[in-house]
Amino acid sequence: MDLNYTPEDLAFRKHVRAWLEHNLPPEPIRTLEDRRRWHRRLYEAGYLGMGWPKEYGGGSARPMEQAIVADEMARANAPAPTNGLGLGIVGPTIIVHGSEAQKQRYLKKILMAEELWCQLYSEPNAGSDLASLKTAAVDQGDHYVVNGQKIWTSGGAIADWGLLLARTDTKVPKHKGISCVLMSMRQPGVDVRPLKQITGSSEFCEVFMTNARVEKSDQIGKLGEGWAIAQTTLGYERGGRSLARITTYASQYHHLVNAARRLKRHGRPLIDDPLVRQKLGRIWAELEVERYSALRVLTQLERGEHPGAGGSLTKLSYSEFEKRFMELAQEILGPYGQLTDGAPPEYQLQIDTAVGDHGTWAYAFLWSRAGTIYSGSSEIQKNVIGERILGLPKETRADRAGATR
Amino acid sequence: MNFSFSDDQVLLKNSVRSALDEQCKSAHVRAMMEDSKGYGEPLWGEMAKLGWLGLPFAEEYGGAGLGLVELCLVLEEMGRAAYPGPYVSSVVLGGLGLVLGGTEAQKERWLSAIASGTARLSAALVEESLDWDPASTTATATKTAEGWELSGVKRFVPWAHVADAILVPARAPEGVSLFLVDPRAPGVSLTPMVGIDLGSRWSEMRLGDVAVKADAVVGLLGGATSLLEALLRRAAVCASAEMLGAARRCLDISVAYAKVREQFGQPIGSFQAIRHKCAEMLLGVESAHSTVYYAAWALNAGAEDAAVAASICKSYVSEAARKVCGEAIQAHGGIGFTWEYDLHLYFKRAKALEVLFGDAEYHRELIVRSVAP
Repeated sequence: MDLNYTPEDLAFRKHVRAWLEHNLPPEPIRTLEDRRRWHRRLYEAGYLGMGWPKEYGGGSARPMEQAIVADEMARANAPAPTNGLGLGIVGPTIIVHGSEAQKQRYLKKILMAEELWCQLYSEPNAGSDLASLKTAAVDQGDHYVVNGQKIWTSGGAIADWGLLLARTDTKVPKHKGISCVLMSMRQPGVDVRPLKQITGSSEFCEVFMTNARVEKSDQIGKLGEGWAIAQTTLGYERGGRSLARITTYASQYHHLVNAARRLKRHGRPLIDDPLVRQKLGRIWAELEVERYSALRVLTQLERGEHPGAGGSLTKLSYSEFEKRFMELAQEILGPYGQLTDGAPPEYQLQIDTAVGDHGTWAYAFLWSRAGTIYSGSSEIQKNVIGERILGLPKETRADRAGATR
Repeated sequence: MNFSFSDDQVLLKNSVRSALDEQCKSAHVRAMMEDSKGYGEPLWGEMAKLGWLGLPFAEEYGGAGLGLVELCLVLEEMGRAAYPGPYVSSVVLGGLGLVLGGTEAQKERWLSAIASGTARLSAALVEESLDWDPASTTATATKTAEGWELSGVKRFVPWAHVADAILVPARAPEGVSLFLVDPRAPGVSLTPMVGIDLGSRWSEMRLGDVAVKADAVVGLLGGATSLLEALLRRAAVCASAEMLGAARRCLDISVAYAKVREQFGQPIGSFQAIRHKCAEMLLGVESAHSTVYYAAWALNAGAEDAAVAASICKSYVSEAARKVCGEAIQAHGGIGFTWEYDLHLYFKRAKALEVLFGDAEYHRELIVRSVAP
């Protein structure tokens, strides 16, 4: 056990920090084209697709190097690249399950942000019970015709392509009748409507498919293997954001402490109120525990071990923590915390959101409600932990056998 | 960066586990609850032979020269077994206290005796006020021709009734100082304080003009505060390791029970109410593991954040263990509330340690002082 970074990792961190100092965009990013440009700079510097194999344009980097780059970007408050789902989910899926032709066709364009991707999984009636999805892909010889509706599609509004889970067989149990295909979002049969969330912004979309066309050559893996493929994809998170996430929390925390020095109750600064101090102490402890646990996961990844269902512990832990943290921020900031406009600088929170707006405490607070729902709610994570880590018996469920319809 | 145990550390952990599985079954723990001394000499001798009693001392004092991570591995296993005995008081409070501040003569006199199991030490770190801040010390040290006279009342002194020497903080004209006191010396009286965890023995220690020699001073005269703070940090992390072991045992027992206990015609572990509880317990235990071994490493390596890491550890693990051990009883239902079932052994051990060496609130205040000075 040695929790010091190696000299190589320290040198790499220094190198990344220096690169960011010289290359950060001087102006906030406002347009998608600006963000694509920034994305390509990051890629050319070797800081995107780092974990992908070299032969497909990646860097074959170690998990720690990926974590360091993301961490330094968080430290520098650097804008995010675009195509997060292309880099994090679609690319790895194609690398693991795709044909050589598919790899040649799609991977480089993902890395260069020439084609932006979304993930078409959830449906209005298939959330936690994703395998009950109803969007149908009907075999027409050389292509499929797709009809149905998807929801919670991140980046749907800007995506050129979507990784789609669709039902190709209704006569087998629900987990067995799903296939995985790549669908062009730029066709008449695909209608994308932004979904306005409680934040007032629209990171997510609804996608309506009416006789949309998918080429047979764009099927990933075998017919009916879509569920299994989606399972490996969901488990592909490589811990890349593990340190960055905590660095962002820490920066927000120090903003909050500064606010607590200015704000008063009964004539006394909040920072001197024992109750507030207890709460601040608790959140810092929890934040650091997240960091320690992230170091443990990184150690596993560095040894080539896959955390598997352990990823559910990580996700459950940080998403629930983020809610508690943001509740405390709101408690300390009072109405300042709710401002979406007009906040004095000392009560602002400078973060770069996915859509390129300046962040606010209000936005961060509202957004914290998303983490315990997306990618499997906390309740689903606890089921996974109970069944796959602790080996507790599955509940008796009506849907484990029989055809879908 | 490597947050995993070495082969040697895994070996140590396994050997402690198998020795305690063999010699510290719950029947032993229960027998010691009735025992006047409260611990078994045969197992103590075995622990000396296995090198556990001198684990963190240098080899020249008969120790194994290992660090806090190894010490915490041993203590986690002791928590898992609800081991009853003066291990923490002797090896950590007394032993590490002398390692941190003892003179060469004091170390020679006591460390090898602790390591060989022939002497047991303790430390009297808290008084009536329960303030773990060493600056709160009110016991007094008055200079005499031969040395010092100590007076005052110490409370919750662990395993004082079997100790051969006890580290006692007292206020001298120069400031808070630390003294080695023989509990059998004239003027010392010990009264048992019996808590719910019968595997942790405490005493009230009254000192009335107790004479000690000049060479009984440990560390700098008037400068014991930083020594005591350093000792408290180590004690807090070691207690956390023990709580971690108790919590993991409660989780294991609960998961095993949830797989076999049937109600409504199904194992209760198939119900989300129980499954989710167990998942939350696992998260608590794994997070506690991360923080215990991070803090142990940080203190051992002298990392920049070592002090705050120790406070994070104690505040987090105190509450996590309380929650996990409590939820274990809840998941069991009635059987978990019986004396006969073992859960209460771990539940009570965690409870006893939760409030020692600074509770969660105490350490959270230290965290804020460090993060927002």
